[in-house]
Amino acid sequence: MASLLTASRPAAWLTRWRQALWRTKPADLTSVILRHRRIYILPTRRGMAFLATVMMMVITSLNYSLSLGFGVAFLLLGFAASALLHTFRNLAGIAVRPLAAGETFAGGTLPFVVSLTGGAGIRRGFRLATADGPSPQFDLPEGNALTVTLQRAATTRGLLALGRATLYSDYPVGLWRAWAYVHFPLEGVVYPAPEPSPPPLPAGRDGHDTLPSMGSDDTDLAGLRDYRPGDSPHRVAWKSVARGAGWYTKQFEGAGGGGPITLDWSDVPAEMSYEARIGRIAAWVLAAERLARPFSLRLPERTLASGQGRDHRRAALTLLALLPRSGSA
Amino acid sequence: MSRRPSVPHAVLTTPQVNCLGALLLAVQLPQALYIPAWTAAFGLLLVVVRLVIERRPSAERDRLLRRVPSYGLALVALATTFLLRQDFGYFFGRDPCVAFLFILVGIKFIEARSPRDGTLLVCLASFLMVTPFFYSQSLLAAVATLPGLLLLAASLQLLAPPAGIAGRQIRWRDPLRRSARLLIEGIPLALLLFVLFPRLSAPLWGLPSDLAARSGLSNSMRPGMISELSLSDAVAFRVDFLGPVPPPQQRYWRGPVLTRFDGTEWTGTRRRSAGRYVAANGASTVNYTVTLEPHYKTSLFALDLPAGSPKATDQAQEGAGADLATLTPDQQLIARNLVSQPLRYEQASFIRSSYPPAALGVQLRAERSDALDLPPGSPRSRAFAAGLRAAYPDDAALAAAILAWFHEQPFFYTLAPPLLEDDSTDRFLFESRRGFCEHYAGAFVVLLRAAGIPARVVTGYQGGEINPNGGYLIVRQSDAHAWAEALIGDEWRRFDPTAAVAPSRIELGLGGALPAEDRVPLLARLNEGWFKGMQLAWDALNHDWRRHVIGFNFVQQQSLWHYWQIDRWAAWQMVLAGSLLTAAWAAGLLLWFALRHHQRDDRAATLWNRLCKRLARAGMPREPHEGPLAYAARAAARWPGLVAAFAVIGESYAALRYSPLGTAIELHAERARMLERLDHAIAVLPTPRALRESAGS
Repeated sequence: MASLLTASRPAAWLTRWRQALWRTKPADLTSVILRHRRIYILPTRRGMAFLATVMMMVITSLNYSLSLGFGVAFLLLGFAASALLHTFRNLAGIAVRPLAAGETFAGGTLPFVVSLTGGAGIRRGFRLATADGPSPQFDLPEGNALTVTLQRAATTRGLLALGRATLYSDYPVGLWRAWAYVHFPLEGVVYPAPEPSPPPLPAGRDGHDTLPSMGSDDTDLAGLRDYRPGDSPHRVAWKSVARGAGWYTKQFEGAGGGGPITLDWSDVPAEMSYEARIGRIAAWVLAAERLARPFSLRLPERTLASGQGRDHRRAALTLLALLPRSGSA
Repeated sequence: MSRRPSVPHAVLTTPQVNCLGALLLAVQLPQALYIPAWTAAFGLLLVVVRLVIERRPSAERDRLLRRVPSYGLALVALATTFLLRQDFGYFFGRDPCVAFLFILVGIKFIEARSPRDGTLLVCLASFLMVTPFFYSQSLLAAVATLPGLLLLAASLQLLAPPAGIAGRQIRWRDPLRRSARLLIEGIPLALLLFVLFPRLSAPLWGLPSDLAARSGLSNSMRPGMISELSLSDAVAFRVDFLGPVPPPQQRYWRGPVLTRFDGTEWTGTRRRSAGRYVAANGASTVNYTVTLEPHYKTSLFALDLPAGSPKATDQAQEGAGADLATLTPDQQLIARNLVSQPLRYEQASFIRSSYPPAALGVQLRAERSDALDLPPGSPRSRAFAAGLRAAYPDDAALAAAILAWFHEQPFFYTLAPPLLEDDSTDRFLFESRRGFCEHYAGAFVVLLRAAGIPARVVTGYQGGEINPNGGYLIVRQSDAHAWAEALIGDEWRRFDPTAAVAPSRIELGLGGALPAEDRVPLLARLNEGWFKGMQLAWDALNHDWRRHVIGFNFVQQQSLWHYWQIDRWAAWQMVLAGSLLTAAWAAGLLLWFALRHHQRDDRAATLWNRLCKRLARAGMPREPHEGPLAYAARAAARWPGLVAAFAVIGESYAALRYSPLGTAIELHAERARMLERLDHAIAVLPTPRALRESAGS
């Protein structure tokens, strides 16, 4: 058995090669500067059509011994070759840096932010592709860093890695595509999708039983703070967004009444499915946070002490997101 | 990377269509000269129509383009095929296919919608750039492809626009400049390939037969053929002499020898046997090199008489290699292959006007009887010959008598002789008496044969013009000539009956011999003047071009490799050397990019430094502590008339230098705009001297 296992594992040198060639593991811990060892270049479809045409020109010239035909064909080949160097140079020397991974609920998209620096000269015509497809095209300005946000579809709760990203460009003539793989260990948390219309929060354990009605926002606006990716859309100060003043998130003072509550796994009906139970608790976490009620979590094998606020909410949702796949409890 | 940019239905934009249209016109125009006029007009019209449609407002344009169904265009293509078949008599040949391609690009352009169609058009257009070379590889033809090359590269760039440019108005200059740069950077590689890419000594597949119908001296002669040729200024061959150039009356370039006569047409003998080169016998030897234009026949030309077999110049050093040509018993040189590319060969000749027959015994008897054969007819000529025979028992005296008769009787030398139908010899000799060299040579041979003297017609070229710019001889089609040979006293002797009629033809060339009202090629007539001088200089350039560029074929390549001593290398060594040189080119280019980048400073800083220098010369240097705004303000205070300009300068430089601006793409556009403003504001400032003076007032 043991020997079988080792046999099925690729040899060490093969792994190393695969890593060097395809960047299969997220081993790019910090900024990556794209050098020739990382840059691949191959003709695009247009390039292949063009090269095939030039080959036909050469063959025709060969047959009819047209020296000028050779001349034109070879000039075009020289053109294509120098385009290849330009395509390479366009990509070479770019520094790619992982910045941040965002957070989202299952069903949404998870943003990852990377920054690219082109250094001297404008670099043109890039796209960054993940497993979910390419980004829109962008240019890198001279000397300044450009931050690019990559969106990955988050389908299920848990950790979602950016995975290997491919930076590519066909500049300047579209005959060649140069690309490089970067594989950052960027991971974002996908929170469980909250139940759309959950029942009211369970009653507080410490005698504070007054439950304010769920929907009404009877709390006071305390102020605005900078928007952070993952903030609830309900709390975004849309007016200021619409004015173009920037993204802010409304903060409320917890006049919501009611004391701390405990969101207990056992409060959720056991006949619901495992994921549905997680979804309900997630919805409760959001509700408690909206009502600014301190809450604690009691989950199978995991607990979270009572708390309140953004960080607490995040901790609670992360805990839920990282619950094991199938309920053992 | 198999993933494609997710642009579902990309449509060709107007700049792309315009650039493609310009590309198509640029590659079509050089070709248009060589295809039937209607195909040229139709193909060009299709492209122009699409360009005109593109200028319409977009809604109307889409409506118009949608109205063109693709099956309609397919029908047009089919109809074109049919018409070409009618016009040429066949379709699957080189020329009809070139004409079809010419129209096809127009049809494809009309229906082009997506960038993919654009790619196809670019490929078709690049192929169409080669096709004019089937017909002409002159210097002009080469120059005519340059716009096409530039536009081809620009079209490719416009088909793959980078993001920052896509939205903006595309200026023509940028892609064109970048194209020129890419093409120029590729030139070393192109040269390397040109020299090292192996050429073939024989074509891969058969050359189509439609090549044979080219102009040039043919292997037969009928009245009117040479006079027709005489109207052409085209160059037949050029000759570089090793020693002094022989005088015009000795420059008989021997070509096809015509022995058989059927009453109207003279053709060569059918006997195939090898001839022997004659000995010098005290005659002077001339060494020269001929550069023969392709005439798609096998005859090679040599001064009368060839002293040895021609050697392809570039194999000459090696000494080995197959013979270029064989000699026939009647002393003409026949190349082993059709001359389908410019051919250069070294040749030696003896200047002799008579030579002993090469054959002996049976062969000689056959040669004699062939040279005596006369078709029935021509009773008056026969009677005249019989009369002469009676008067002159000596063969040489008889021939001289005929020439004298030509000279004394009112025979005229003209390019436009009357068309003689049945029994042209009799009617020419005794009625019209107007003819060109082929008439005189033919009639002379008929008279000799009728008198029992073996004789034959020799065609070729006579004379030629010395180009003072290159020191070589140009022989044009208009120098085509026909003369006669007679076997008198065991020797073939040359007789030129034309010389008896119009001696100046031999001394001065065609232009000097013909009456003024005759049509003569321009260049044969103009003897002096700047026009002819320019023409000769141009021809010298073309001669070099032919020799070194067009003529760079298998043989020349071999000899160049031999010269560099790389001809013994194995294929893998050649490939390795080529790869190393390519790598060196790439490394050099990348290094050059890097160096250039270091040199190119920040443009804003350059502009600012220029301004500071100018103001310093105007008497107001910048203080070390002064920032751009303060300095500009001080300058504005000093030259109140230029307040606006200095305000712009100070603000834009400060912004370019210090302020962070918006997001990246905006930033780029904004920077460019600001740089332009800064540049403009500095440009409108008066000169330092004017500034100094205005400050004083």
